[in-house]
Amino acid sequence: MSKNSHRVQIVLFLVFIGAFFLLHLCLPDRSFSERENRVMQEAPRFTFSELFSGRFMTKFEKYMSDQFPARDAWTTLKARAEVTQGKQENKNVYLCPVEREPLEYMLIERFDAPEDSVIEKNISALNTLCEATDGEVYFALIPGAGEICKDLLPDDAPMDSQRAVIEKAYALSEAKNVDVFGALDAHDGEYLFYGTDHHWTSRGAYYGYTAFAQAMGFESRPISDFEVETVTTEFYGTTYSSSGFSWVQPDHIERWVQQGENVTITNYPAGSPVEASLYDDSFLAKKDKYASFLGGNTPQLVAETGLADKPKLLIVRDSYMDSAMPFLLEDYSEIHMIDLRYFRTSLREYIAENEIDQVLVCYSVANFSTDTNLFLLGL
Amino acid sequence: MVFSSILFLFAYLPIVLALYYIVPARWRNLCLFVVNLVFYGWGEPVYILLMLFSITVNYFAGRLISKHRAEDKKARGVLVANTVINLAMLVFFKYYDLFAGTISLIPGVNLPTLGLELPIGISFYTFQTMSYPIDVYRGEADVQKSYISFGTFVALFPQLIAGPIVRYKDVANQLNFRANSVEQFSSGVRRFLVGLAKKVLIANNIGVLWDTYSAMPAGELTVLGAWLGIVAFSLQIYFDFSGYSDMAIGLGRMLGFEFLENFNYPYISQSVTEFWRRWHISLGTWFRDYVYIPLGGNRRGLGRQFFNILVVWALTGFWHGANWTFLMWGLYYALFLMIEKAFLLKWLKKIPRFIRHIYAVVVAVCGWVLFQLDSVRQVGAYYKAMFGGAGGGLWNRADLYRLGSFAVIFIVAILASTPLGKKLYDRLPKRAAAIVTPVLMVLVLVVCTAYLVDATYNPFLYFRF
Repeated sequence: MSKNSHRVQIVLFLVFIGAFFLLHLCLPDRSFSERENRVMQEAPRFTFSELFSGRFMTKFEKYMSDQFPARDAWTTLKARAEVTQGKQENKNVYLCPVEREPLEYMLIERFDAPEDSVIEKNISALNTLCEATDGEVYFALIPGAGEICKDLLPDDAPMDSQRAVIEKAYALSEAKNVDVFGALDAHDGEYLFYGTDHHWTSRGAYYGYTAFAQAMGFESRPISDFEVETVTTEFYGTTYSSSGFSWVQPDHIERWVQQGENVTITNYPAGSPVEASLYDDSFLAKKDKYASFLGGNTPQLVAETGLADKPKLLIVRDSYMDSAMPFLLEDYSEIHMIDLRYFRTSLREYIAENEIDQVLVCYSVANFSTDTNLFLLGL
Repeated sequence: MVFSSILFLFAYLPIVLALYYIVPARWRNLCLFVVNLVFYGWGEPVYILLMLFSITVNYFAGRLISKHRAEDKKARGVLVANTVINLAMLVFFKYYDLFAGTISLIPGVNLPTLGLELPIGISFYTFQTMSYPIDVYRGEADVQKSYISFGTFVALFPQLIAGPIVRYKDVANQLNFRANSVEQFSSGVRRFLVGLAKKVLIANNIGVLWDTYSAMPAGELTVLGAWLGIVAFSLQIYFDFSGYSDMAIGLGRMLGFEFLENFNYPYISQSVTEFWRRWHISLGTWFRDYVYIPLGGNRRGLGRQFFNILVVWALTGFWHGANWTFLMWGLYYALFLMIEKAFLLKWLKKIPRFIRHIYAVVVAVCGWVLFQLDSVRQVGAYYKAMFGGAGGGLWNRADLYRLGSFAVIFIVAILASTPLGKKLYDRLPKRAAAIVTPVLMVLVLVVCTAYLVDATYNPFLYFRF
């Protein structure tokens, strides 16, 4: 090799490492990544106690990679490199080709079944609740795309059965079980789950509602009753954020139910009541557009419908219920929603105080398998 | 700090190279000494003190031995005392908890364990420092009068945490004078990038497969799965470890040092004896020169040679971590080496080359099970699964999916464990190499950066060494 070749190689290397070093120093840091939907590590403050505990170094390394120049382009490149090698997943999310309007791909998260002991513990808390309440308790587990759309997965891809988890849980449950799986599975092939997010779509939630209706003894309205409004065609959800498959098409978000005049919704984001509504449009301008349903995660929320002759319902739930609750408004006088991750109280007392007639415990299989707060059901 | 990180590549390295080449040549050792300590202290600042202690003790031991060379008794006394201090330090920080825990198994004995964090690289730098007074005593190395130069040698960041084990006598001249050249620097850059690609693109990538299979409950592991897992680990540890050595050698060259080679395509070996001449060469050399040969090597009859092999490989195994499984791993190799010395090497010569090759690779692959799993029970269960006794069946659908997903990386890794790539590269016409080389370099830099920025899996495998 000529001396010039050597020089070229040295310069290439030094320019590459030097340029990104300087760019990182010069470019402004960002505190939040829209793409990854998370807070980014900013420059850690130096103190001796942080130094000797090692926290400074850990934070600094995270800072270096979180604030790396053009980070989003690099994570896309990594995902591309994985696919080029013949892999069909990145970070536990499968890239599944599909022809289903408006999607060309569905990003489906891998599901790992919990230990039987987790199911048993959660169900025993549920059963304690059943025994302690006079009202009827209903129990619903919502399967995710990994179960309903499993025919879209890469051949032989590892994916534990969510249906098996549902069956185990239902067999142990003393509540009245709701067959959400059957309702969704009957309509496989429709746009039931977002391609870029783990939640069900409003259509999926509608079929969930028909299953609730059947189990809980009220008439569900036919699909033709609804006037569907598409509120965004630019929704990139959680599996998009975690996977790096940034070249997939965005999802659409639909609203099937409009808020009636007599419906009032009170949210308790931090303990005290705040007037709210079925939809919070401000989220449509942000990354987390699914949170436009009821304004996202909250400890407690109460909807009053003005239909005095109808029963009162308490829903213990996760975020899947945000998009399904609007369907229930015509069948109850009050709907109370509680998220045990943020709301810690005795359900028994809550039910007595608010004169609740029916309780619906409703979780996605994924959250049911990992959430550690379900024991609160039994308190 | 590890080389394969954003922090090292895009902050530490540019700063260090800039500083190093800006300061006048006579201050470069001091400059290196300081940046070495920053590098080392990044993980656990308190252990900088331990390293300084080790540097100081061995520095003065070297000086004392050199001073008393005429009176053998005194020099010998210093040497023995120094070796004891070094080993005591290593044993205390690395093995105390294992010994305490094991002794406490005796009813009525209850030694408390300390749960000390293992100082990173202690096994590497203790061996490096220890060999220096020995070499001075033997007259194989000159005494180093400058504390800074000696400290620079001990803490030299390229080989500090994952080898190779550089002996003082091999770099003594370079510590005092380094002629930096464009050729040396650019060959350092190329070598560093080869190592980076091995670590980030191959080892980290294929390691995911081993992690999947090693975490599986024994009953679920199929025969195919067990073999996929352990072959993946065999490739992971080779590309990780030799990648680190390549990066160390490359960084050394960028700073003007030449280190000896540490790996020489071990998986093309045709016997276990050959494997150990090609695997972690600096460790093998160390044990040969400071344990095996002083014990008499092969000059005192076959019985004594077997005893020496047992001692050396027990120590070699145990050096890799404070766990009895490492001792077993060493003895496993001792067994094969003795059998080969006794008769197998002669037999092997008579059978076809590819069978010899398969034999050596299978022994190495099966050995890694002992090496990498934590307990005898896990090791037993894994072997059982590999040979069909665990009840998981021959294969399942998930195995096929993983085989498909990792097929490309397997093929690349297996080809890259042979000298094929190097041979092809060396045969490139000069003008083609002048174009291909920079293109490959940029490709490696870009793709490695992508994988490091999005690092979900970037383990440091030598935290127990």
